[in-house]
Amino acid sequence: MLALDQLLDELAPYVRRLCARIAPAAADDATQEALLAIFRGLPSLHAPEAIMTWVRSVTVRTAMRLVREPDQEIAAGPTPADGCVPSFEGLADIDDALARLPPSQRTVLVLRTREGLSEQEIATVLGIPAGTVKSRLHRARATFREMWES
Amino acid sequence: MNDAVAPENIDPIDPIDRLAILAAALPGAVVRQRQITAPFDDVWRVIADMEQATPRYEPSVAHVRVIERHGELLRLLVEDSAGHEEPMEAKLRSGWCLMQSATIVIAFAARPLGSQTLLAHLEHLRVQTPVPSEKRSSYRRAAEAKIDQELETIERLAAQGGK
Repeated sequence: MLALDQLLDELAPYVRRLCARIAPAAADDATQEALLAIFRGLPSLHAPEAIMTWVRSVTVRTAMRLVREPDQEIAAGPTPADGCVPSFEGLADIDDALARLPPSQRTVLVLRTREGLSEQEIATVLGIPAGTVKSRLHRARATFREMWES
Repeated sequence: MNDAVAPENIDPIDPIDRLAILAAALPGAVVRQRQITAPFDDVWRVIADMEQATPRYEPSVAHVRVIERHGELLRLLVEDSAGHEEPMEAKLRSGWCLMQSATIVIAFAARPLGSQTLLAHLEHLRVQTPVPSEKRSSYRRAAEAKIDQELETIERLAAQGGK
């Protein structure tokens, strides 16, 4: 249990950072739900050497689910729904710009640029075709570029 | 641009949330919580006073001795009511206490709730005795009742200033 306590100290900052980037308006809830899912799954983890890959996958899926199914309180936050045109007014920094992207574009961009995943790895994490990852990345980069140049 | 896991950059996790997360990794762990009508500092004084307070709220414990202390980490010798002595390791800081031996894990988590305190308590037997499925719910209810009783006693001790 002391080892689990230490593992939690080591994983929590990473999980929180990833949740804050993918689900900025629901970062606290996503962090807690992801850590609960991770620790619930630990006893049945068959490949301990792959723990970080698995932690990333659980975290991304949890954060994506909370972005897609926001409750009223979370819906009041700044996260735009897919298909909405992000507002570029008062852009503060890169994280601010990321937060204004539609969730599906933001997630692939975070996984590609912040996590260093290949398009195929992103497809595996999200359970979508690699072609979809490629097109979302293309749209995300275009939107992001437009924000910085505006 | 990868973000390495940086232990020195630990985000604080609310102790009650931490207890729920760790309990998720311990099938069979029993967790109960209680809103204690005493300020956080008074409640935590009881939990942190392992040598004096533990035998007063945990009926199976006769004596606790802290034999080593390095920052948050402690080594304890715990004697049960039958006279059997068992070493335990513990981690203790404000709002968070975790103790483990070869046979049991015990944890307390607390956070202030205005002038009161939310206190959660976990107990987990590391060596699980097989229990027939028809008796599992009654065993669990008994374990929950035991923890509820301990939380009530802790509330009384906190109200008395640990006396």
